[in-house]
Amino acid sequence: MYFDVNGKRIFATTGGKKFDNSLPTVIFLHGSGLDHTFWGLHSRFFAFRKYSVLVPDFPGHTHSEGPPLTSIESMADWLNDAVESLCARDISIVAHSQGCLVALEFASRFKDRVKSVSFVASGLATPVNSALIDAAENNPEAAIAMMVGWGFGSAGHLHQGPVPGNSMVAAGRKIMRSNVPGALAADLKACNAYSNGKTAAAAIDCPVQVILAGKDRMAPRKAGMELVEHLHNPELHIIQESGHMIPQEAPDESRLLLRNFIFSNNPSG
Amino acid sequence: MSDFYEFDTLSLHAGQTVDKEFGARATPIYQTTSYVFPDTDTASSIFNLERGGHAYSRISNPTVGVLEQRIASLEGGSAAVCTASGMAATFCAITAILSQGDHIVASSQMYGGNISLMKNTLPRFGITATFVDPTDIDGFGKAIKDNTKLIYGELIGNPGLDILDLEAIAKIGSQHHIPFMVDATFNTPYLCRPFDFGANITMHSVTKWMGGHGAAIGGVVVDGGNFDWGATDKYPTISEPYAPFQGINLWEEFGPAAFATRIRAEAMRDFGPSMSPMNAFLLLQGIETLSLRMDKHLSNTMKMLDFLQNHKQVSWVSHPSLPSHSSHALAKKYLPKGAGSIVSFGVKGGRDAGKAFIENVELASHLANVGDAKTLIIHPATTTHSRIDAQALVAAGITEDMIRLSVGLEDIKDLQSGFEAGFRAARKFAGE
Amino acid sequence: MGFSTKQIHAGVKPDPTTGAILTPIYQTTTYVQPSVDEYLSKGFSYSRSGNPTVRALENKLAELEGGADCAAFGTGMSAVTATMLAFLSAGDHAIISDVAYGGTYRLCTKVLTRFGIEFTFANGADPNDVASSVRDNTKLILTETPANPTMKCTDIAAISKIAKKAGAVHAVDNTFLTPYFQRPFELGADLSIHSTTKYMDGHNATVGGAVISKTAELAEKVKFIQNSTGSIMSPMVAWLTLQGCKTLSVRMEQQSANAMAIAEFLEAHPKVEQVCYPGLKSFAQHELSSQQATGYGAMLWFEVKGGLAAGKKLMDSVKLWSLAENLGSVESLITHPVTMTHADVEAKERARVGIIDGLVRLSVGLEDKEDLIGALENALKQV
Repeated sequence: MYFDVNGKRIFATTGGKKFDNSLPTVIFLHGSGLDHTFWGLHSRFFAFRKYSVLVPDFPGHTHSEGPPLTSIESMADWLNDAVESLCARDISIVAHSQGCLVALEFASRFKDRVKSVSFVASGLATPVNSALIDAAENNPEAAIAMMVGWGFGSAGHLHQGPVPGNSMVAAGRKIMRSNVPGALAADLKACNAYSNGKTAAAAIDCPVQVILAGKDRMAPRKAGMELVEHLHNPELHIIQESGHMIPQEAPDESRLLLRNFIFSNNPSG
Repeated sequence: MSDFYEFDTLSLHAGQTVDKEFGARATPIYQTTSYVFPDTDTASSIFNLERGGHAYSRISNPTVGVLEQRIASLEGGSAAVCTASGMAATFCAITAILSQGDHIVASSQMYGGNISLMKNTLPRFGITATFVDPTDIDGFGKAIKDNTKLIYGELIGNPGLDILDLEAIAKIGSQHHIPFMVDATFNTPYLCRPFDFGANITMHSVTKWMGGHGAAIGGVVVDGGNFDWGATDKYPTISEPYAPFQGINLWEEFGPAAFATRIRAEAMRDFGPSMSPMNAFLLLQGIETLSLRMDKHLSNTMKMLDFLQNHKQVSWVSHPSLPSHSSHALAKKYLPKGAGSIVSFGVKGGRDAGKAFIENVELASHLANVGDAKTLIIHPATTTHSRIDAQALVAAGITEDMIRLSVGLEDIKDLQSGFEAGFRAARKFAGE
Repeated sequence: MGFSTKQIHAGVKPDPTTGAILTPIYQTTTYVQPSVDEYLSKGFSYSRSGNPTVRALENKLAELEGGADCAAFGTGMSAVTATMLAFLSAGDHAIISDVAYGGTYRLCTKVLTRFGIEFTFANGADPNDVASSVRDNTKLILTETPANPTMKCTDIAAISKIAKKAGAVHAVDNTFLTPYFQRPFELGADLSIHSTTKYMDGHNATVGGAVISKTAELAEKVKFIQNSTGSIMSPMVAWLTLQGCKTLSVRMEQQSANAMAIAEFLEAHPKVEQVCYPGLKSFAQHELSSQQATGYGAMLWFEVKGGLAAGKKLMDSVKLWSLAENLGSVESLITHPVTMTHADVEAKERARVGIIDGLVRLSVGLEDKEDLIGALENALKQV
């Protein structure tokens, strides 16, 4: 569906069901350069189980009007504006990579709105290789190749995917190409500049869950464990055989972990 | 191409996870109709497209799935759906987008099955087509109407071997927001990937060079993932809620794979032209040697062209790699490795000479297929087009002396001596 | 668990990765090992030594026969060969029932004798003849019951006792009756051999064989030969046989009922000299057959009055029945053993064991019995 946030036309998928703000909400946040389809399988799972689901494209990504936002903090503010415009309540955040940094800010600053946070494949900060930022600004195809190379594990590189016949890596590439020019660079610079992770993590008091990948080359285990150390009583899971793109590379394992966590911390009907 | 792995590696490994149960190196043949669900939640989540997986082999199958992902990777597409034949692939692709009252602009130089589908069959369901000479680029733009929802052509045309100017036609499609679909059977992704030049959908009869051994019939539709179906309200089959699947909006939910998902959700489910797991296995074996075979097809083709051009009983030879061919420049642009292994040539002495040649040529098999590892040959005037008169033959671009050759992988010396046997028999009609 | 349930479910389970209800066809040579330390942790390394699809069939056949394990082979003859190689060495002696399948006879007399193995062909129908053939170096007794094509039956329990006393292994070729009708292990035998080409497949689709062992110790010896001689079954054949096995009991019941009706028809026909079918009261070993098996199978032979010439005339004019080798399939087949299946057995030996020149063998299939009888009736009119 399209809706309005601060005068801009924003797109979000609602998991195949109408958005109903009388139900508890699960908001899925995508990572750098990606869009709502990244969370497709998971969002439909919750939408068909009495949750209202919102998977927005951040500004400048795929169907949402630009320009792209340039800081993690501004993305958290934007998310709050989006939530307000839809009157969404009882929010469980499920975030991947860059989305996790946004979730740290959002959940620490708008505590009343948040019932739980699931951090998938992230640390407290996401320092980005300068060569990647440079490529994103000057040679987007090269940047996409790097993202694809580092982001996916071997199954992704061999064009497998959870859905029969679909190549997750090819889809990822097409999505990054569909962003407005500069969106990926803006995302990566925002990640690189973000430094409030420790403070934000310490301020979050709702139930939290961290899902890390054993073969993650973008948010290494060490960075993930740092996030775990600064959160209050996080539930930690490590999916050994997955790369960074956990929702695509390990859809069944991650769905089950999210299901158990959200069903118990933010039950619906 | 920003792939992590290169073409030859993908042709061997893409789509296949080594079997988890036993580590089987080859893809297991899942010759099964259906799949046991561990619980009802799993069952419903597969039907609701909340998780990947297989429910019934008409819709998807693990062996066929490996082939689909392998072809998607080679073609540079976001998703692929395999079908029981190439014709089924074309039919499924068209009906996934077009409905009664819609219109196709198609190249006039296509495989007869494609022409017949669009000229005779689809009109029965209210879908019409306008055919345009593939060399007349402006003609494509002029043929577009308000209800045009697909532009369709073969990269290497049949039978004239005219090369479609992909970029020029993709541009027209893009200007009118109409998807451009390419039958890429004759080129395979090894020679050209139409998505790199702006095409939005491709199909292959994988029976031909992709499989390469004449062992299995099959087709595939590949979704380029580069067409925005929701930018206008012109493509409701993809951008509007789809009632049979809980009102899911495929464009919203599947993004770059929305078109392929529509084929799987509708065509495979309601029409059911699925590929068999055994055929998928045989075709996977074929694709493992795709580049090796194509290189040999091309080198043999060049040698045969040389042989034919220098043969005194040959009146003419046509192949896009020859400077004399009208598509030579386009062939160099889109098919730098080579313009495929189909050659047509004329035998001096007309229909009788053609017939005598065919009946006496050795080694080359006389049949209607193309793209086999074995050399195939046919005389259209006395076989595929025997029931049409001389005038209609000309209109179809076929002359009475024309031989169509699909160059195989045999030793070139043997092929040429086999041809000499045919020429000897045709000599008496040559009038020399 | 009943036989019919077992024939469908034994040895197989849904694929754990995809849920595929049928065992996948693992048409693969080799298996990727997780690590050096975990070599063979998933059970397979190379498809000569083992293949998951073939294994599924082996497990199913072992359960159907009530044995400890099974080894599947490329053909029934390779199953017989493996049995001989597993239990016989140079200087050893084996007793083979004198009406064994022609291929078995040829293997013994023309091949294995070259390796210093001695054979005695004894009358399996007469336990005393078998007992008196036992020597100090007798290691194997191979019987076939009912025998091909004479239908002569062997008393499995009696021969098993002799074998046990002699310290020899008793292998029973159970191809004709299958474990659905005849259970050699319960009667004391050690090995059950099958040409799976016949009733196990049942559809004329594959050529294959199997040896089921009563104990794990025996199985190990057969498995060793299976791997070291490499006469293995292909995954595709195993998969097709897995499908065939699922209808074994219903096919056996119906084909036997058809055979009984045809035997009765022929016995009453004035142009027929004699009919040999274990289900007929007139069958010499009818009592033994009824005692050691729960059905009489679908193989029979008869002789047309007028001998060989009349038999040939019948076979050349009969419709519906295919003049073909093989047996046990759903298609009814008619064969002339003297010129076809048993041509390699010397005339003297054929005469000795009762393969008369006019013998016409029928493998009764699954067609309507009225059609099968009608076709024979018409053909007999031509004679």
